[in-house]
Amino acid sequence: MKLLLIAEYKNKKFLESNYELIAFADKLNADYVMFGVGGGSDLPKCDGKFYLADSEKAGEYNPSLHKKLIAEVMEKEKADFIVLSHTSYGWDLAPRLSAELTLPQVSEVVDVSGNNFILPACNGKLWRKVSTDGKGIITIQGGAFNPESDYEGTPEVINIEVPSVETKVRFEGYEKAEAVGVDLTKAEIIVSAGRGVGKKENVENVRKLAEALGGELGASRPVVDSEWVEHSHQVGTTGQTVAPKLYVACGISGAIQHLAGMKKSDFILAVNTDKDAPIAEVADVLVVSDVNQFAPALADKISSK
Amino acid sequence: MKILVCVKQVPDMESKFKLDKENKWFSEEDLAFRMNEYDEYAVEQAVQLKEQTGDAEVVVVSLGPDRAKEAVKKALAMGCDRAIHIKDDDYYKKDSYSVAKNIYEYVKDENFDIVFTGLQSQDRGSAQVGVILAEFLDYPCVTTIIEFEYNNGEIQVKRELEGGEKAIVKVKAPVILTCQLGLNTPRYPTLPNIMKAKKKEIKAAEPVDTENLLTFTDIDYPEKKGAAEILEGDVKELVDKTMEILKQKTSVLK
Amino acid sequence: MEFSRQIYWNVGHVVLIPMYLLAFIAIGIMIYGFYKRYLVYKTAGSENRMDSLSERIFYMLRNVFSQKKVIKEKIPGIFHGIFFWGFLLLFIGTVLVLLQADFTNPLFGIKFLTGTFYLVFSLVLDLAGLAAIVMLSALLIRRFFIKPEGLETIRDDYIIHGILLVILITGFVIEGLRISVTELGSGSILPFFSPVGMFVANIFTGFDAGNLQSAHKFIWWFHFLLAMTFIGIIPFTKLRHIFTTSANLMFRDNRLKGFINTPDLEDEEAEQFGCEKLTDFTWKDIFDGDACTKCKRCQDRCPAYATDKPLSPMKVIQQFQEAAFYANTENMVDFVTSDVLWSCTTCRACQETCPADIEHVNKILEMRRNLVLMKGEFPGDEVVTAADSLEVNGNPLGFGFAKRGDWAEGLDVSLMSEQADVDILYFPGCFASFDKRNITVAKNFISICNELGLKVGILGKEEKCCGEPARKLGNEYLYQMTAMENIEKFSDYNVKKIVTTCPHCFNTLSKDYRELGLEQSVEVEHYTTFLYKMFEEKDIDLESDGFECTYHDSCYMARYNDILDEPRALIESAGGRINEMDKNRCESFCCGGGGGRILVDEKIGTKVNATRAKMAADTGSGTLISNCPFCLSMFEDGIKTAELEDKIKVKDLSEIIVDKIKRRS
Repeated sequence: MKLLLIAEYKNKKFLESNYELIAFADKLNADYVMFGVGGGSDLPKCDGKFYLADSEKAGEYNPSLHKKLIAEVMEKEKADFIVLSHTSYGWDLAPRLSAELTLPQVSEVVDVSGNNFILPACNGKLWRKVSTDGKGIITIQGGAFNPESDYEGTPEVINIEVPSVETKVRFEGYEKAEAVGVDLTKAEIIVSAGRGVGKKENVENVRKLAEALGGELGASRPVVDSEWVEHSHQVGTTGQTVAPKLYVACGISGAIQHLAGMKKSDFILAVNTDKDAPIAEVADVLVVSDVNQFAPALADKISSK
Repeated sequence: MKILVCVKQVPDMESKFKLDKENKWFSEEDLAFRMNEYDEYAVEQAVQLKEQTGDAEVVVVSLGPDRAKEAVKKALAMGCDRAIHIKDDDYYKKDSYSVAKNIYEYVKDENFDIVFTGLQSQDRGSAQVGVILAEFLDYPCVTTIIEFEYNNGEIQVKRELEGGEKAIVKVKAPVILTCQLGLNTPRYPTLPNIMKAKKKEIKAAEPVDTENLLTFTDIDYPEKKGAAEILEGDVKELVDKTMEILKQKTSVLK
Repeated sequence: MEFSRQIYWNVGHVVLIPMYLLAFIAIGIMIYGFYKRYLVYKTAGSENRMDSLSERIFYMLRNVFSQKKVIKEKIPGIFHGIFFWGFLLLFIGTVLVLLQADFTNPLFGIKFLTGTFYLVFSLVLDLAGLAAIVMLSALLIRRFFIKPEGLETIRDDYIIHGILLVILITGFVIEGLRISVTELGSGSILPFFSPVGMFVANIFTGFDAGNLQSAHKFIWWFHFLLAMTFIGIIPFTKLRHIFTTSANLMFRDNRLKGFINTPDLEDEEAEQFGCEKLTDFTWKDIFDGDACTKCKRCQDRCPAYATDKPLSPMKVIQQFQEAAFYANTENMVDFVTSDVLWSCTTCRACQETCPADIEHVNKILEMRRNLVLMKGEFPGDEVVTAADSLEVNGNPLGFGFAKRGDWAEGLDVSLMSEQADVDILYFPGCFASFDKRNITVAKNFISICNELGLKVGILGKEEKCCGEPARKLGNEYLYQMTAMENIEKFSDYNVKKIVTTCPHCFNTLSKDYRELGLEQSVEVEHYTTFLYKMFEEKDIDLESDGFECTYHDSCYMARYNDILDEPRALIESAGGRINEMDKNRCESFCCGGGGGRILVDEKIGTKVNATRAKMAADTGSGTLISNCPFCLSMFEDGIKTAELEDKIKVKDLSEIIVDKIKRRS
C-alpha cells in the first residue's frame, strides 16, 4: 500500500502532528511519500520523497490551489490513499480532493481493523466501520496514531512549481488567540470544569479543587462558550492540547474534541453522574458523583492534610 | 440575493443509543431529534444576512426521512422563506458524496449567492457535504467560520483554527461557508414566526439515485480499551477512595 | 328640656339653596372626574367582572364595612379601620340630619332626632369624631414623622391629611360654638352627651355671644366648603380609593387562585401574544392602578424586593396608573423593564395580602409572554437551553427522555404502558425523575404506597414536564405543547386519579390542565392531602418519637391551594414538634424557585433561598421540612450559601414519614 501524506504548515513551521501521519503509515505497514506547502527548512524528519511547494508563492491557506498541487502529485505517485490530519486544514482540503478525484473520504479515523477504518459517531458513543475499494482520502483524528519513538531521517525534497493562479479565497493573515493567561501545556495537574457543574458560580468548586491539588483550572468548550471561564483555560482541539500528570475532568461528558485535547494525560480522573459518559473511554477512574458535592469534599480533605 | 442553508435533523446527543437489527445504524427507538447544532448557526447567519441586506430570499434544504420536516420547520420559523425537503428514509445509507450530489441536483439551477452549512453533523461528523457541494457548484468554499461580515458584496470571515487562533479570509459571492459553533447566537423563534412558518412552502423532492463511494460495514459500541474503574458510593466514601488512588497511582499527593 | 337641637341654628334656612347648589356642583365635579377616568379605562381590552353580580356586591359590602382585609395588618390597619368607622358614623349622622331638616320635618313634620335617640346619637357621633381625629393624627405621625421604610408620600397625602383633619376639627369647633351659646350654663345634660363639643365650648366661656355666633357662621361655611371641596377632589386624588378600592373588591378575580388565561394558539388570526402596550391589557389592569393606595403591604412581602431585586409589586401597579394617566408612554414592557419582570417568583404573597384585591401576578406573566413569544427574549442563555431541552426531551434539565423512568427500576411500581390497571398514577415530575436529591422523594412515596397496599403506576419515559416553569416564564407555546401530550397520555390510559409530590405539577394538573381538556372527573391530589386521607382511611399510626422541626409552607401549597393543615398533621403524627417561623402559612416567605426561576441564574441582589434558610435556622429547631422539589433544591443550596450546615438540615416530608411507617411494620 502506498500513502500520500499531506503535511501541515502554519505560522512558517511544519507541525508536530505531521509525525502522526507517519505513525499511521507505520500502523498500516505502508510506504509513503509526503507533500507539503511550506518553507524549505525544518521539514519533518523522515525518509523518502517530500514534494514541497513554496508557501511564499502558494500561501499557507489556499485550498483550491493546494488541491491542484496534490492532484498533480497523485498523478505522478498514484498512491492508494491520501492522508491528512483531521484539523481545520485537513477537513477543508480533504473533501475537495474527494470530489476532484472521485474518491471516498474517510473522516476522522481512530483505528484500523483489517480492511476497515473505524470512525467515531454520535459524540463517540458509537463506532462505525467503513471500507473502500482500496483507494480514498483519509483524515486521521489528532492523537489517535502516535509515533512509538522519535523519527530520524532527511527526506528527499522535490520542489513543485507553483503556477500563478487567480484565487477566489484570499487569506489575509492570522489573528492570535487572546493573550494566554495560563499555559496549560506546562501544567502538571489540571482540573477542568464541564457543563455538569451546572452554573457559573459552581466553577468555584472546581477552582478550589485545582488549588488544593496545586494545579491549574481547565475548561471544556461549552463552559467557555457560556462565558463561565475565560477562553485561555479551554482544553480541546480549539483550545489547548495538554498531557499533564493528572487530569481531573469535572462534569465533563467527553466530547471528542475535548478528549482529543487531554487523552494523553498520564492519569485521568473523571467525576460525573453518568457512568456511561464517553469520558469513561479515556479515564482511569470514574467517580460517579455530583461534582458540586464531590469536588469541595475532596478539596477539603486534601487541604486538611 | 439568494441564500441557501443546508440543515440536517440528528438525534439529541443525550439519548441512549441502541443498534438497529442489522447493526448497520443506530435504532430510532428512544431517540429524541433536533436540528444539528452546527446548522442552527448556519440558519441564524443566513437570516441575519437577509435582515442586513433587506432584500434576500433564504431557502433551506434538507435530506432526511419524514420527521426531518420538524428541523425544516424550525429553520422556517427562524426566518427562512421556503424549503426543499428531499424525503429519503434511506438517508443514513448515503455517504457524504451522495448526499452532496442530491442537494446539488436540487439547487444547481437556482444560482444561489451564498450557501451556509454546518461544519459537520453531530451524528456522523464527516464534515464533507458542504465542501463537496462547493466542488460540484464550482464555488469557492471556506470552512469552520467563527465570524462573518458582509459589506456590499465583500465577505470577510474568520476561520477557527486549533489553539484558539483565527485565520482572516476574504472572499466574494458566490461562495459556500461551513459554520462552527459560536458563530452567532441562534434566535429563539417567536410565536408569530412559528405560525407564519406553517404557511411557508416545503417542496417535497425525490432523492436522486446515486452510488456511494464509501462502503458502510457496520456500527457498534466502542471497544472499552482499558475500562475506567468505576467508583460509586456516598461522597465521603468516594473522597476517601479517591485519595487512596491518587496516593497510589500518581505522585500528586505525597 | 327637649333633647334635640335646632338644625341650621344661627345660619338659618337661607343656606339651603346655596348649600344644595354647591353640593350639586361638587357632586357633578366628582362624577365628571370619574367619567374622565372611565374613558381611560375603556381604552384597554374588555373583561367580564360582573358575573354572579349579587355575590360580588355582597362580598364588597361585607369587606368594606367590616374592613376585614384592612385591619389584618394591625398597624396601621386597625387605625384606618377605626378612622373609617368613625368617618362612616359621622357621614350617617350628617345624612340623618339632612333627612330630618330637609325632608321629614318640612314635609311631614316628623322629627326623630329627639329624646333618648338624640342623646345616643350625639354621644356616638362625638366619640366617632374623636376617634377619627385621634386615628388620623396617629396615621399622620406614622407617615410624616416615623416614615416606615418603603412608604412613599406624595402630594395627595398632604392634601388628604390636611383637609380631613381640618374638616373634623372645624366640625367640633362649630359644635363647641353652638353648645357654648345654646346649651352651656342652662343646667341641661345635653352637653355631656357631646363631650368633645362640651370641651371645646368651655374654651369659649366668657366670650361675647354675638362674636361667637359670627364665628360660628363663618366656620360653618368654611367647614361646608371644605366638605364640598373634599367631594370634588375625590376622583383627582388618592381619595378616589373610597370608590375605586371598594369597587375593585366587587370586580375581583373570582376564579381559582392562580388562574391565567389560556390563549388559543391555533388561532391563525391572532397577531399579538402576551401584553406589551397598555391597550393590550384590560380595563381591569388600569383600574387596579386606581384601586391601589400604595399601602406597600405587597412590597413588604415580596421576596424579590426583600433581596434587592428591582421588583416592587406596588411600583408595577402604580406604573399602570402612571402610564394610563400621566406618562407619555405606551409600552409597559419597556416602562417596567425586563429585569423587574424576570425577578418575580409568582409566590402570590402580594395578592394574598392586598386589601384591594389587586392582581399583580398576571400582569407580569402577560408581559413575560410578550417578551418570549413576540421577541424571543429570555432572562438568560441558560433558560434558552432549558426551553430547548424541554422541547426536545420533555424536561428542562438536559436529560434524555428515555431515562425518565430509570429511577423506578427495581421498585414495586408498574409502567402504565405495561399495566394500566392501577389505583393511582404517580406523576413525579422532572425533578423527582432526574435530580438525585429529589429521586429520594419519589422512591419514598412509592415505598409508602407499597406499605399502604396501593397499586401505583407511572408513565415513565412517556411522561413529559408538566410545563409549569415554561408557562410561568412566559413560554405559553411550549407549555401548551407539553401539557397536551400529557393530557393525551392520561386519556390513552384512562387515568382516574393522579397523585404528585410536586406542588407546581399539582397546581398545574389540577387547575390549568382543565382549560386544555383534562376532564374534571380526573382527580389530582398532592401527596400530603392524599396520604393524610389514606392514613385516616386505613387507620394508620406513625411511630412518633418526638423531634424538633420547623415547616415551610410552599407558595403553591399555601397561597395557591390553601393546603396548610394536612402537612402539619402528618408531621405531628410522626412526632414532630413544629416551631413555626414568623412568616408561616399564607404569610410564608418564598424559597425563590417559583415563577420558573428554579431554572434561572440569580444575578441581581442577594439570594432568596439563603434568606429563607436563615429564617428556618433562627427557629433553633435544627430541621426544616418542606414538600416541594423546588423548595428542597433551593434550601439545600441556600443552607450552603448562608453557611448554616451546622444549624439546620432540610428534609422532604416524605423522608420523615417513610422512616416512621417502615418502623411500624
